[in-house]
Amino acid sequence: MTEYDYDYEDLGLVAGLEIHQQLDTETKLFCGCPTDLREPDEAARTFTRFLHPTKSELGELDDAALEESRVEREFEYLAYDSTCLVEEDDEPPHRLDHEARTVAMQIAELLDMNVVDEAHVMRKLVIDGSNTSGFQRSSLIAQEGEIQTSDGPVSVVDLMLEEESAQRVEERDDGVLYSIDRLGIPLVEIGTGPDISSPEQAREAAQTIGMLLRSTGKVKRGLGTIRQDVNVSIADGARVEIKGVQALDQIDEIVRFEVGRQAELVEIRDELQSRDASVGDVADVTGVFEDSDSGVIRGALDAGGKVTAVPLYGFDGLVGRELQPDRRLGTELSDHAKRHGAGGIFHTDELPAYGVTEAEVEALREAVDAGPEDAVAIVADDPETADLAIDAVAERAEVAIEEVPEETRGANDDGTTRYLRPLPGAARMYPETDVLTVDLDPSDVETPELLTEKVDRYQAEFGLDAGLAEQVAYGRKMPLFEEAVDAGIDATFAAGLLESTLTELRRDDVPVSELTDDHLLAVMHLVEDGDLAKEGVNDVLATIAEDPSLTAEEAVEEAGLSGVSEDEVREAIAEVVERNADQVEEQGMGAFSALMGEAMGALRGKADGGVVSDVLREEIQKRA
Amino acid sequence: MNAGDRVRVTRADVTNEGVLMPSSTEDHLVVKLDGGYNVGIAREGADVDVLETDVYDIEDAQSEGDGTSEIEFDDDLPTVSLISTGGTIASTVDYRTGAVTAQFDAEDVLRAVPDLAGRANYRGRVVANILSENMTTDVWVDLAEAIAEEIEAGADGVVVMHGTDTMQFSASAMSFMLDTPVPIVFTGSQRSADRPSSDNVMNAVCAVEAAKADAAEVMICMHGSESDDVCALHEGTRVRKNHTSRRDAFETVGAKPLGEVDYEAEEVTFRRDYAPRGEADLALHADIESEVELVKFTPGMDPAALDYLDGKAGVIIEGTGLGHVHTDLIPRFEELVDDGTVVAMTSQCLEGRVCDRVYDTGRDLLDAGVVEAGDTLPGTAKVKLMWSLANLADPTDAMGRNLEGELTQRSVPWE
Repeated sequence: MTEYDYDYEDLGLVAGLEIHQQLDTETKLFCGCPTDLREPDEAARTFTRFLHPTKSELGELDDAALEESRVEREFEYLAYDSTCLVEEDDEPPHRLDHEARTVAMQIAELLDMNVVDEAHVMRKLVIDGSNTSGFQRSSLIAQEGEIQTSDGPVSVVDLMLEEESAQRVEERDDGVLYSIDRLGIPLVEIGTGPDISSPEQAREAAQTIGMLLRSTGKVKRGLGTIRQDVNVSIADGARVEIKGVQALDQIDEIVRFEVGRQAELVEIRDELQSRDASVGDVADVTGVFEDSDSGVIRGALDAGGKVTAVPLYGFDGLVGRELQPDRRLGTELSDHAKRHGAGGIFHTDELPAYGVTEAEVEALREAVDAGPEDAVAIVADDPETADLAIDAVAERAEVAIEEVPEETRGANDDGTTRYLRPLPGAARMYPETDVLTVDLDPSDVETPELLTEKVDRYQAEFGLDAGLAEQVAYGRKMPLFEEAVDAGIDATFAAGLLESTLTELRRDDVPVSELTDDHLLAVMHLVEDGDLAKEGVNDVLATIAEDPSLTAEEAVEEAGLSGVSEDEVREAIAEVVERNADQVEEQGMGAFSALMGEAMGALRGKADGGVVSDVLREEIQKRA
Repeated sequence: MNAGDRVRVTRADVTNEGVLMPSSTEDHLVVKLDGGYNVGIAREGADVDVLETDVYDIEDAQSEGDGTSEIEFDDDLPTVSLISTGGTIASTVDYRTGAVTAQFDAEDVLRAVPDLAGRANYRGRVVANILSENMTTDVWVDLAEAIAEEIEAGADGVVVMHGTDTMQFSASAMSFMLDTPVPIVFTGSQRSADRPSSDNVMNAVCAVEAAKADAAEVMICMHGSESDDVCALHEGTRVRKNHTSRRDAFETVGAKPLGEVDYEAEEVTFRRDYAPRGEADLALHADIESEVELVKFTPGMDPAALDYLDGKAGVIIEGTGLGHVHTDLIPRFEELVDDGTVVAMTSQCLEGRVCDRVYDTGRDLLDAGVVEAGDTLPGTAKVKLMWSLANLADPTDAMGRNLEGELTQRSVPWE
C-alpha cells in the first residue's frame, strides 16, 4: 500500500496522550542533588547491578517485568560528583521535594484539575535497569481536568509527579550502561482521556499542554526534556502505547502510521482466519543449512550455534506484507526475536536472499512440512538464543491469527514504531514505604500566568512588538527576562539582549551556551547602571563566553571597555570637533551625523551613544 | 466497608473507584485505583459506596506462595542449613503499617531467592522472627543450640539470615559459643527484599557458596562493594557495620576481609589462614552472663551515668584514644572492680589497640584494676565478656588475650 491516510471516524480511532515533562527545580525529587546533566566522561565512579522481579502487594507479578527478567542482564552505572547514594539505591529516598510538589500543583491548576487530598508515593516496577532500585517512584497528584482544542475539549485524566529514569549510554551484549545524572530529576506525567479522534487533534492537544507547562517557567527545555507517549487504538484493533515521541510535529504521523499498522493487522488476521491458518511446532533445522553460504547463518553455525524454524501454515505472502513504510508482519516477528537476544529472523516471503539459496528454501519447507501456501521463519544464533527467539516468533505469529496485540511500542525516527514489551499492568505498582504520604494543599499555590497572557502583557506593559513579545514569552529565557525586568532593567533592552543579541552572537560562533543566567543578568545591570555602554554588550558577552570564569566587571576590563568618564568623553569629542572645525563652521548642526560616527569610532564602544550624542551636540553648539 | 472491598468514593468533584487498602487512617481512605496508584481521600465529606466485598484477600496475597516449595534431595550436593532470625533479607512490606517487617520463614527464602536452587540440599528452620534491633541474649542461646543441632543432623554448612543492625554481635556470640567443624555464615540485606535491586539475592547465594567452602569459621557474608560483583567474608569477631544504608556497610576492622565470594564465578577465596573444615569437634558452650554493660565515655559525661553499673558482672568501657576516661571517673571504676565487677577497656577509635601505659590516666586506670582488651572491638568485647563470665574461670585474664580471633597479636599496617 502507498497511501497512509484513513477515514479515522470510520475506523473508530481513539487516541490519548501521555506527556512527560522534566521540571527545572533546584534539587532532585528525592535527594538534594542538582538536576544537572553531565557528560559520561565526567563520571567519578561506576558500579554494576542485577535486578530481580518482585511481586506487588496484591501478590501479582507484572507481565512486562516478567518478560524483562527472562534475560539476565548486568547493568553498569556511571555516577558523578553531582550524584549521591540515593540515586545509587544505597540510601533511602529523602522526602518528596517541596518545590517539585508546588510546580506540579501549579500545573494541575493550569489544567483545571483537582489536586488529591493525600499523595501516596508508589513504586512502579521497571526492571530494564533504567532505575537503580528496579522501580520508578511515582505519585498521583491531581485528577480530572480538561484542555480545549479546536476540535473540542480533551479530558485530562491524571497528573503524576515522578522521578526521571537514568540515561541509557550504551547497549551491550549482556547488559546496558546507564548514566545516573538524569535519574531522580522531577518529572510530571500528564495523561489525557481517550478523547482524541484525529492525528491533528493529537498534535494540537500536545502543543496546548506543552504551552501550559512552559507557562510555569519551571520546566526544563531542550531535547529529551519533554517526551510524548501516544496511546492509539482502532475499533477492531487494540490499545497500543507508543513511547518516546521526541518531537511534537511527529505526533500526527505516529498516529497515522499506527492506525495503518492496526488496520493492516486486522486485514491480515481476517485473511489468516479465512485460510484457516495455524502455527506449527518449532524445529531444529540446522541440518538444512550445514553447508550454507549465507553470512548470517554461517557465522552462527561456525560459532557453535544452530538454526531453529517455525512453520506458519497458511501465512504465505502475508509475512512480507507491509504494515507501515518498510515494516512488515515479518518485522514484527523479528522484533520479538530481537527482544530475546537474536539479531533477527529470515522468512520464506523474503527468501531466497541474504545468501540463502533456492535449494535451501526448498529443503527448509520440506523439513518442517510446509507447502506453497505456508511460510517458514528461521533464527540462526547460539543454541539458547535460537530456541528462545523462535518460541517468541511462534507466539507472536499465533497472536496474529487471533487479534492485534495490546503492547508497548517505541517510536522510530521515521514515524514508524517497533515492539518494546507487553503493556504494563496495575500489578507493577506497590507502595514506596520509605516515603511518608503528603497532605496536599493547593490553596497557597499561585496560578502562573499563561504564555498566551504573557505575550499580551509584554506588549501592553512594556511596549514590545507582537513578534518580540511572543519570542520572549515562548523562549527559554522567559524566566530570566521576567527576573531582569523585576530588577529594574529596561524591558526592551532585556528582550533585545536575550533574543537578538544572543542570536547574533551564536551566528558569529560565540559559544553562547557558556553564558549563565547570572552572567546575562550582571551584564544587564552594568548597562542599566551606566557602567557599560549598550554598544559594548556584544564584546563583553563574547569575552565571558570564551572564559566563563570571568565576572561581568572583569570581562568589561578584558574587552578594553572600562573606565571612560564623562570628562574623557568630552575630551575625545572636543578633539573630533577640533579636527573638523572647518566642517562645523560651514554646516553647523548639519555636521552632526558625520561627526557622531567619528566620535563613536574614537570611543570604540566604551561610551553610551546617548551621552556621546548629547556632548557632541553641545560641542558643536559652542562653535556655531 | 473493609480493606479488600471494591469501593466508589465521591468527594468534592471527583469520583474514584478501586480497592480499599488496609493502610487507610482515621483521616484518610486509601484506595488503590485500577491503574495501580494509591490515593488518599479525606474521610470528611466523602461519599462511599461498597461495590463488591472482599475483592482481594490482602493478607493472603502478601503471604501467599504457591505452596510448592517441594525441595528435592540430590546426593551429589552438600547440605546447607538455612536458619532465619528475621531481618530485611527475609522481610516484606507490612501494608497495614507501611513498614518493612520480617514475615518469611526459611522456606519462603528459597521461594523468594530461586537462584539458591541447585547449589545445595537445604534444611530450613526459624529460630526467631525479629528485626535485629530486638535481638536478645536468649535468642543467641536458641540460635547456638539450633546451629549445633543442624550440624549434628548432618549440615555441611550453616547460613544464618539475620538483620544487619546487630549481626556483628550475634556473629561474635556464635564465635564464642560454638566450636564448629563446618562454616557458619551470617548474611542479610541492607536494601529490602521487596525491591528488584535488593542485595538479598546475591548475599544469600554467596553465603551458601561460603557455607559449602572449606573455612570452618563464623563469618559474615555481605556485599564487598556497591556493585553486585563480590561479597566479602568477615571474621565474626572482627567485623562491624560501618554505614547505615550502603550495601557494603560491613567492614573488617584493621585488616582486609578474610576472604571473598565471586558472585558470577561462584568462587570462594581466602587471603589468610582459617580453621579448615572437619578439624574441630562440634561443641556448644551456650551459657551467657547478660549482666554486662558497654559504656561510652565522652567529654561532659555525667558521673551519675555510671551509677546504674552497681552490681553488674562486667563493664566494657569504650574510652577515648589509647583507652582513657576523665580522671575524675577513675575512682568510680576502681570501686566497681573492688566490688567484683570485671572492667575492660576498649577504644572508640575502633582501629588500633588500647595502651594504658603511655599516659598517667591510663596508668591510673590499670592501677584501678581495669584490664586492657587490646584491639578487641567494643561490641565484640561486650559479647566476649558476657561469655567469659559464664564459661571461664578467669574472665579478667581472658579479656587480655585472644580466644576467637577477636584480639590480634600484631598490628600490621594495611591499606
